[in-house]
Amino acid sequence: MAETALTCAYVLIFFSIVFGILRLILGSRTVDRVIAIDLMTVVSIALIALYADHAGRFIYLDVALVYGLLSFLGVLAVARYLEDGL
Amino acid sequence: MIEILMILLCAGILISGILAVRLESMVGAVVSAGLASLFAAVTYVILAAPDVAMTEASIGSGLSTVIFLYAIRKTRGED
Repeated sequence: MAETALTCAYVLIFFSIVFGILRLILGSRTVDRVIAIDLMTVVSIALIALYADHAGRFIYLDVALVYGLLSFLGVLAVARYLEDGL
Repeated sequence: MIEILMILLCAGILISGILAVRLESMVGAVVSAGLASLFAAVTYVILAAPDVAMTEASIGSGLSTVIFLYAIRKTRGED
């Protein structure tokens, strides 16, 4: 049961990255690209957490934690730039 | 399974690098360069180097995006 769920998670992450890259290439506005990159950030954090379970080394979760904090900062900076702040 | 994702991540690094060079919009180019760093960090984790991945995620993807946007704002003031 757990193996099935983990395989489903890998497949969903795969298609999320594929469609995120497609939106990044096709996106006509800047906001579309920023949203696509925010999506891929969240998906990458999920991938790191999933790989930590796959490899059995839970020190990898620290990377996901650090990246979760910093990606929020990056998207916030881009949003402030688009609103004439920063 | 993880090998297929690894190939996809490396293709994503290539695509975002090409987009960072070719995009007209400045913000789009900066954000695409940040995405290349993000996928590189995930690749480092899969290659069993979590300390390198943490440094890449904090400096390459977090700090450099903010500093690039700040520099664009200071120098040009337009998109």
